[in-house]
Amino acid sequence: MAWYDEDSWLTQAVGPNIWAVIGTILLALTLPIVLHWFIYRSSVLAKTPSFLVLGPSGSGKTALVTKLETGHGSKTHTSQIPLTVQSHLPKSTVPKSWQYRSTADYETKAPKPLLLTDTPGHAKLRHYAYNSLASTTNPPTGILFVVDAADLSSSGTATGGANFALSDTAEYLHDVLLSLQKAYNNAKTSKAKEIPFLVAANKLDLFTALPAVAVKSTLEKDITRIRETRARGLLGVSTIGKGEGLGGNDEEGDDEREVLGGTSEGDFKFATMEEWNVSVEVVGGNAVGEDGPGVEGWWEWIGAQL
Amino acid sequence: MLDTFEIITTSGVVLWSKTYVPVASSLINNLIREVFVEERGANARAENSGGQKPTYRRDGYTLKWTAAKDLGLIFVAVYQSLLQIRWIDKLLENVRALFTELYRDQITKPNCSAVDCPFDQYFDRQIQELEKLDKDAGPQRGGPTIDVTPPTSDSNDNSADDMPPPPKPVLRTLNSNTSHDTTSTDVTPIPTPDASRPGTPRANHLLTGRPGLGGRGSRRSRKGMVAGNSAPVSSGDETPANASKKGTKGAKKMRKWDANGHADEDDGTTLDYSAPVASSNLSNANVEDSAEQEKWGTRTAKGEYMLKDIGDEMNAILSSANSNAGATNGDAASGLVGSSIGAISGLFRNVVGGKTLTKEDLVKPLKGMEDHLLKKNVAREAAVRLCNSVERDLIGMKTGNFTSIDTTLRTAMEKALRKILTPTSPLDLLREIQSTVRSSTKRRPYVISIVGVNGVGKSTNLSKIAFFLLQNHYRVLIAAGDTFRSGAVEQLRVHVNNLKELTQRQGKGAVDLFEKGYGKDAAHIARDSVEYAAAHAYDVVLIDTAGRRHNDARLMSSLEKFAELAKPDKILMVGEALVGSDAVQQARHFDAAFGVGRRLDGFIVSKCDTVGDMVGTLVSMVHATGIPVLFLGTGQHYGDLRVLRVESVVGLLMQ
Repeated sequence: MAWYDEDSWLTQAVGPNIWAVIGTILLALTLPIVLHWFIYRSSVLAKTPSFLVLGPSGSGKTALVTKLETGHGSKTHTSQIPLTVQSHLPKSTVPKSWQYRSTADYETKAPKPLLLTDTPGHAKLRHYAYNSLASTTNPPTGILFVVDAADLSSSGTATGGANFALSDTAEYLHDVLLSLQKAYNNAKTSKAKEIPFLVAANKLDLFTALPAVAVKSTLEKDITRIRETRARGLLGVSTIGKGEGLGGNDEEGDDEREVLGGTSEGDFKFATMEEWNVSVEVVGGNAVGEDGPGVEGWWEWIGAQL
Repeated sequence: MLDTFEIITTSGVVLWSKTYVPVASSLINNLIREVFVEERGANARAENSGGQKPTYRRDGYTLKWTAAKDLGLIFVAVYQSLLQIRWIDKLLENVRALFTELYRDQITKPNCSAVDCPFDQYFDRQIQELEKLDKDAGPQRGGPTIDVTPPTSDSNDNSADDMPPPPKPVLRTLNSNTSHDTTSTDVTPIPTPDASRPGTPRANHLLTGRPGLGGRGSRRSRKGMVAGNSAPVSSGDETPANASKKGTKGAKKMRKWDANGHADEDDGTTLDYSAPVASSNLSNANVEDSAEQEKWGTRTAKGEYMLKDIGDEMNAILSSANSNAGATNGDAASGLVGSSIGAISGLFRNVVGGKTLTKEDLVKPLKGMEDHLLKKNVAREAAVRLCNSVERDLIGMKTGNFTSIDTTLRTAMEKALRKILTPTSPLDLLREIQSTVRSSTKRRPYVISIVGVNGVGKSTNLSKIAFFLLQNHYRVLIAAGDTFRSGAVEQLRVHVNNLKELTQRQGKGAVDLFEKGYGKDAAHIARDSVEYAAAHAYDVVLIDTAGRRHNDARLMSSLEKFAELAKPDKILMVGEALVGSDAVQQARHFDAAFGVGRRLDGFIVSKCDTVGDMVGTLVSMVHATGIPVLFLGTGQHYGDLRVLRVESVVGLLMQ
């Protein structure tokens, strides 16, 4: 039978038939709902805020991440690959977007999920961190840079030998900030979103640990020094032509050499980074250990970014 | 005996650990850093080939490990190097099979680091069984292999200290410590008696139940057997249930080590003396234990059944793991149909991805990759090692969606190269010089010396560095340490004159030549130059040395004295990018030439502009020694000195 016959399926489907009417009504009613759910769900999934945890090896990144995830943390060793965990804001911390909500609001009862990405801090494995920093598909909502405050304090200025932990930390921090600055400068859209940057001074429960303020000034001082030597250092080798070999083109070199904070003159301050939409804050705490401020301050900061 | 056993994820989280004797956590950190990240343990890798698990020794401890690649797990066993534990390999193997099987789901769960794993019982059980096997295999040799007490009746006092260990790890640790203190004969921590004394294996665990018995010596041996059957978890012995348990012979029949249980009536008697000592501990342990049992969810009325379940489950898992391994092996040899289907699906998978890589899959692409690296002038040795490490990384991995083996291999190789070339510590020469020179306490010049084979460009690169330092307004002294080749000093003088002119135009910094003519001992000249520099307020001393063949022991031996007298802050070796596979030997020999405790600090790879994209020498040298490349020479001018940028080099190599 052809499609135009009276009892063909097509005619039945659009004919004045009770099932066709019911079907149409159902479709008309459910389609928007389905669409809404579909779009709503997917957008929520995509928007789970993700925080990137950086820092040199041994500063306590993995310990912090597990602590924030489970509340008690677990024993950790040197990481080799990144680790992403899902965590929830504790009840006591109110996200910024909820600050005008009533405390009785039902939504405040549902813990807000967030993703924490731990990266390996070993110098040979930092490319994971830089890759996630530069990621365009899933840019981090905020960055936590964990430093070992107890290690920075043994600053070896008196002995003449440089404190390795300090220089390593400062160097890493410098490179991370510089890459953020470059990303901002190279951004096509001028209105890049502000990137909250937390320097988490970890291990404050230890006796030798510097307080957060001192951590800040120590790092600023060391970054100033790094910036100075970087500005005067040698250029990186570049590839000539279309990958023909290695060489140094000075013309090309100039614009790639970007100095953190725009100039190598004067002292570096974290505050200057706001020019590049990076707001740096230093908060102390400790991921392991009983006494000390704990992770409260960091939760506060994370809450303030949500 | 075993000190610690840990199960770690590659992301650094300890999933499960059992500590008998606490060891510094830096031990395992070092293992990870040196072997997994920096891949320094070449010897450890070599041992791997013999079917043995790789080992790593440090600070008197031996670490053996195995990995489950697909899940990203590392299983590490730590014990003192003095001991020989034969069953360690087997233990690692079994624990890996068990753990991956039991908790696979939890581990693969995304966005989650914690795994809830009540693995203690399985582990204890494994240890017991392996110890028993070991003992069965060589009862006479029990003493020598495990390094313990003579297996005779003198076990009285030992057992008093040793026997009480309840299954809880905490208590074991505790007990093991006491055993260390009291009995010098028994060096090993707890489970030792099992292995050392034939026939006692279960006696160890009847301890759990023992305190409840008080001192009823007459029934002890029988009791011992029953409790032994119920092994570690049967803490329920303490409860009235033990009476009924005694009657349950059915469970006992299932134990194949029945005979052993019978054998040690004497031990049972002696054991009893120990019981009162530890009774307080034990009661705690029992409480905890029974709690754990409940959590475990299996039946608690009769300890034996539950235990048997674990044992059976464990064996089932292990045997299935074995048969799986067998099956995969068998697959390759299966019939024509099977193999062709396998081949087709393999091809399909190769395109679509999601294929689990095996050694066979990788042979061809790896060969291609190796050839590619060789074409890029990477020394064969380095290329082979790179390929091996990539192979190790990839075997057992699943390829991603819509990625072929080649692509996967390529990314893995890029990753490996990047890992090799990236230095472990930051290299900022200026910063180091600055902190040395401007240090308030003791002012001294920063000393850099340059070594290398003949004609690689030592003097040229030295003057390039001098130029770079002069640009930064340092006062530089160049010491002519080449007292052998005629014209060497004059060559440096030409450079110094050129540089002087440049600095005069600039108005800051200074450069001078320190030379003592030919024929003198270079080491003394170097030392004198450093003294001279200190006296005349120079910031940096650059010491040139005579070129020497790296395989000439006579010439190389003078380097040790040189390093001793001049005490350079940095010893840099110049190698040319043109050199082929000799780069590895050059780097190794020079690295070893400065005596114990002094190594090279960096490489300068010269003539990079002459090799095009064949920059493999860089990789060869770094791979041979693990020492970073500090500078690259890229041209004829003073300014043609560059620092390494890993991305561009990796890009060139992978083209």
